[in-house]
Amino acid sequence: MLVRLKNVSKRFGDVVAVNQLNLEINQGEFLVLLGPSGCGKTTALRMIAGLETADEGDIFIGESRVNEVLPKYRDVAMVFQSYALYPHMTVAQNIGYPLKLRGVKNTERQEAILKTAEQVRLQGFLDRYPKQLSGGQRQRVALARAIVRRPQVFLMDEPLSNLDAKLRGKMRAELKHLQHELAVTTIYVTHDQIEAMTLAERIAIMNQGVLQQVGTPKSVYNDPGNIFVAGFIGSPSMNFLNGELIDGDFITEKCRIQKVGKGSHGDVILGVRPEDMKMVVSGQSHLEAILYSVELTGDQTIVTAKLGDDYFTVREDKEYEEAIDQHVKIWVDASKVFLFESSTGKRIRFN
Amino acid sequence: MKKERSLSQILFEPKTIDAVAPVSKVVFYLILGLWTLVCLFPLYWLVVTSLKLPIHVNDGPMYLPGIDFKPSLHAWKYIFVDLGNDTLRPYLNTVLVSLASSVIAVVIGSMAGYALTRIAYRPKLGSILLFILTVILMIVAVVRFGLAWQIAVASGLALFILLLTTVGRRFRKSLHNTDIAFFMISQRILPPVAVVIPIYVLFQRFGLLDTHAALVITYVAVNLPIVVWLMRDFFDSVPVDLEESASLDGASRYRIFFTIVLPLAKPGLAATFLLVLILCWNEYLIALFLSTANAQTLPLLVAAQNATRGPQWWYMSVLIIIMVVPVVAITVVLQRFITRGLLIGAVKG
Repeated sequence: MLVRLKNVSKRFGDVVAVNQLNLEINQGEFLVLLGPSGCGKTTALRMIAGLETADEGDIFIGESRVNEVLPKYRDVAMVFQSYALYPHMTVAQNIGYPLKLRGVKNTERQEAILKTAEQVRLQGFLDRYPKQLSGGQRQRVALARAIVRRPQVFLMDEPLSNLDAKLRGKMRAELKHLQHELAVTTIYVTHDQIEAMTLAERIAIMNQGVLQQVGTPKSVYNDPGNIFVAGFIGSPSMNFLNGELIDGDFITEKCRIQKVGKGSHGDVILGVRPEDMKMVVSGQSHLEAILYSVELTGDQTIVTAKLGDDYFTVREDKEYEEAIDQHVKIWVDASKVFLFESSTGKRIRFN
Repeated sequence: MKKERSLSQILFEPKTIDAVAPVSKVVFYLILGLWTLVCLFPLYWLVVTSLKLPIHVNDGPMYLPGIDFKPSLHAWKYIFVDLGNDTLRPYLNTVLVSLASSVIAVVIGSMAGYALTRIAYRPKLGSILLFILTVILMIVAVVRFGLAWQIAVASGLALFILLLTTVGRRFRKSLHNTDIAFFMISQRILPPVAVVIPIYVLFQRFGLLDTHAALVITYVAVNLPIVVWLMRDFFDSVPVDLEESASLDGASRYRIFFTIVLPLAKPGLAATFLLVLILCWNEYLIALFLSTANAQTLPLLVAAQNATRGPQWWYMSVLIIIMVVPVVAITVVLQRFITRGLLIGAVKG
């Protein structure tokens, strides 16, 4: 592994930003740190960069422990959310700055700047100043400045969050391609789970300073370890229902879903993804609810139904049509539901 | 369909949001023109007076040279030829002292201001009080008990360090950067008049009276709080991201300060430099005490024209004109640095 965090903790006053974090990132891997704002993901990244010092634990880059090493000796490059371009330097000077500081000769430096500018498609803009560039171009300058000196690790702190939706999608693809091309270990922080799912080789999900689960996008989506991961990953997010598990059946006052597990378990929470539910007119159904809203997104319809105080989101195809406030029936795919302990939020597994 | 506008609408109502109605326009320009006259008239009066003979000045107001009176260069001749070196020396003194003071104050002050915005200092209140106490002890020992000052300072410092390492560990309450900044600016609460005699005695002891050094040291000390206070604000506006980025790119703290932060704080530097320069250039009171002949500055020379025969307005005018010109020139040069928007493009999209 290239980057290793061992029992790393960081406190700001009374707030524990990062709590006993253990994480290993492999050579050449694209790892995404995902979590809601304030979960400690940026603090973790800044500790790897050396912009914050860890209160406890060890941070390794390669073979060496870097806890006390100054940022500039860690051989990492960082792209900031705000881009952090030097406004008084041209694009070429911005990109060349890290090389200049390392004493790279002028001719070599110009060569490297040109090559990097080509990689991020900024050839025609080298003489401009940051204020003369669009948001996407500034983003590319920041990226170029990070890759120009071939660091061991790229650190990216929500680099796409200041771009508009369309550009963000485009830059995401570019970023993924670039990382593949350069094959440099990348740690990427985001709160956007779509970004995480699409970019990552592995996702590390954090909440309140604690690492919740690490795994491939597929595994965290299909096999969430706890209720937080289950609810955070997926859009629209997973539906939850409080009830009891009795003899393998999930039972609440208003519904009964058969054969969701084995045995009895007292208070549990049932989780089911919107695509694992279906609106039915006749035949077997599990829930009877009142239609709350119907949203057509183009390729699909997001249907929300209300049962008591609970709302359910169902992913339907684009042909679905029904009037609001109608009574509707919902069928649940019992083979694809998840069960969690009410008290701890831990996943209940049956095999 | 063409909409008719009545005469009063045409005169008083603007056509679009940004436009100004014709009548308002006329009024605005009248007010602006009047104010320009008010501002420029004293300068004109200086020039006119410098061309008058004493008899013209005493004969009541005369406005137009060549019509009201016959212009004469006698005052200019007196200042430049008759006084000669006695004009040149104060002039050079002023230039030298003001420039040196402003440069030193801005360099030291901006570094201090930067440190106060980026480094969190937590000096213990107890340690500061302890230091003041030992200094008082030293003074008492020297003045009251006739102890040699070298011994007093050495043993005082030793005592302070000893106490700091033993008792000092117990101190809890500490000050913050804002307290330090406030302490600095509070040095300006005291009017300079209050301390001008101690300053005089101080420089007398050091044998520095009537030297450039005395003036420069005093001006730097007096103006440092202003520089620190102003520059702190300018550095605050430089995004920390830029500095963090530079530190990851491989820059040292000094390098970051000189290649990233200072260039971005240029408008602040220029404005602060100008302010300090003007304050030093026009300073009268401290210069009056600290200089007599060799280090005399221009304001003193101007005041000296108010002699036994009464104020010699014609000479004063010439001196004031030549005193104002360099400051105006520097302001014009520096003005292009005092622009906004230098940080555009640094962060966000």
